Amino acid sequence: MSTHSSLRKDLRKLIANTKGFSSVIGTTFMVLVMLVLATSIFLWTLSQNTEYFQSVKEKNQLEVDRLNEKLSAENVNYTASDDVVSVEVDLKNEGPLSVHLTTLWVLDTTIRKYGFNDTLNINLQPGEKLSIKGTEAIKVVIENADNTHVFSSWFITTRGNAVPLEKEGGLIVAQVSAGIGSIAMDFNRFKYYNVSKVGSSYILNNYPQGSAGYVVIQPASGGIAFQVALTNYDPSKRNITLYSGSVLFTIFPVMPQQPRGSMWYIVNVNANGVISNTYTPVNLTYGIETSVFFASAVELKGSNTFTPALASYSGTAPVNLALIGSLGNDYYGQNIPFVSIYIQG
Amino acid sequence: MNLKKARKRLHERCAISAVISNVILAGAVITVSFVVLFWAQYRSSAYNEQYSEAMNADIAKLKERLAFEYVFYDKANLTVYLLNCGTIDNVTVQTVYIYFSGNGTLVKVFSSPTLKQFNGAPITDQDLDKGEEGCFVLSPLSLETGVNYSVRVITGRGSTFEYTFIT
Repeated sequence: MSTHSSLRKDLRKLIANTKGFSSVIGTTFMVLVMLVLATSIFLWTLSQNTEYFQSVKEKNQLEVDRLNEKLSAENVNYTASDDVVSVEVDLKNEGPLSVHLTTLWVLDTTIRKYGFNDTLNINLQPGEKLSIKGTEAIKVVIENADNTHVFSSWFITTRGNAVPLEKEGGLIVAQVSAGIGSIAMDFNRFKYYNVSKVGSSYILNNYPQGSAGYVVIQPASGGIAFQVALTNYDPSKRNITLYSGSVLFTIFPVMPQQPRGSMWYIVNVNANGVISNTYTPVNLTYGIETSVFFASAVELKGSNTFTPALASYSGTAPVNLALIGSLGNDYYGQNIPFVSIYIQG
Repeated sequence: MNLKKARKRLHERCAISAVISNVILAGAVITVSFVVLFWAQYRSSAYNEQYSEAMNADIAKLKERLAFEYVFYDKANLTVYLLNCGTIDNVTVQTVYIYFSGNGTLVKVFSSPTLKQFNGAPITDQDLDKGEEGCFVLSPLSLETGVNYSVRVITGRGSTFEYTFIT
């Protein structure tokens, strides 16, 4: 018998044998069940893990965004009036992401009271600057807050960061003002005007533009008026009131032994450039630049009325601003040796 | 010849019991297999559900984030101002722990404090949605002045947020 025919015989026998048929079916089913279950569980677990890692990724991205948020809030100024603190500040978004501000917190550390304004809706694009000043100042209610108090404040962003408001320039100014005085002058806003009489009133010509005050072309008649921009930087934030004795005076070096002077006393000027005959004390509120005018030949007190003044001499003259008044409840005086002028004519 | 053989086989009764037994056995195996399949599927779907719940809870926890806007202590009251800056709604405050931040000694525990809006009105649903601000007052609480304390907030989903402040 050949090997080939033996194999054929064995195969025929195996096919004809029905024993173990159910085992084959059972095994097949078992394998199918295992495959179906394993595949479904594997795929489902994979999808769940993907979802979880997606959430972790989002969370990490949020944290990165939060850490990358970079907002600077500088040159803050607080003004308290009637239990309302007005906060002026310069904002700059220095980060790569836009920033949304939701709340401003202000703490009056002097009386340990605080307030907040949670109605802010300020958006800043990357690199955007925003100066919140004047009527746009953010208002926060704090009972019994006062200008002389010390405040600290911070913004809250939508991402949950706290951004402190800093007094970068204020500290330097405060240190300077403690050394040389509480009033500072803006050199770029020093102007002069010619004074003319219209009817019974004296007015400033070309008001409010005027001309730069460093070179004065003196008219043949009438008078000259000077305008200076003063800011109160008292570290205690008290009000300064200027009395009628405040005067702007110049010294002309006519001869070495005989210097000559000219002077212009403080006056009030209305919105139309009309000079008042009498003088009402000018208030300098902390941190707010105020224009002050000097034009009268005599001090406006008692029965004195406005008299226009011209410089009696010409040429170069140093100018002194002698201010007399009150600082809070105390008397105050400050002499600002500030500019030189050249009088022509 | 073949037709004859086939006819003969049809009339043969010797192996009929073997065929029936095989059919019954195969049927039983198939039935049991289906039962096992459905049972296994039921068990796996139950496992999937449990796993899914655990996973969703973890994901929800990940999405929670509370920012402390301000913590103020005055006259035995500690007021904590919060902002939900996460990406999920319905953040509840479950437990609040106050402890010394220096040595970690526990000072006091508060459970489920009442959430209020910043203006003092209670928040109706007692949770913070996305971007919502709220506060709660912990009282009575006796803290020493000028000492560093920490406040730890545990949310309903189990997230923990901490903030250190000076009285």
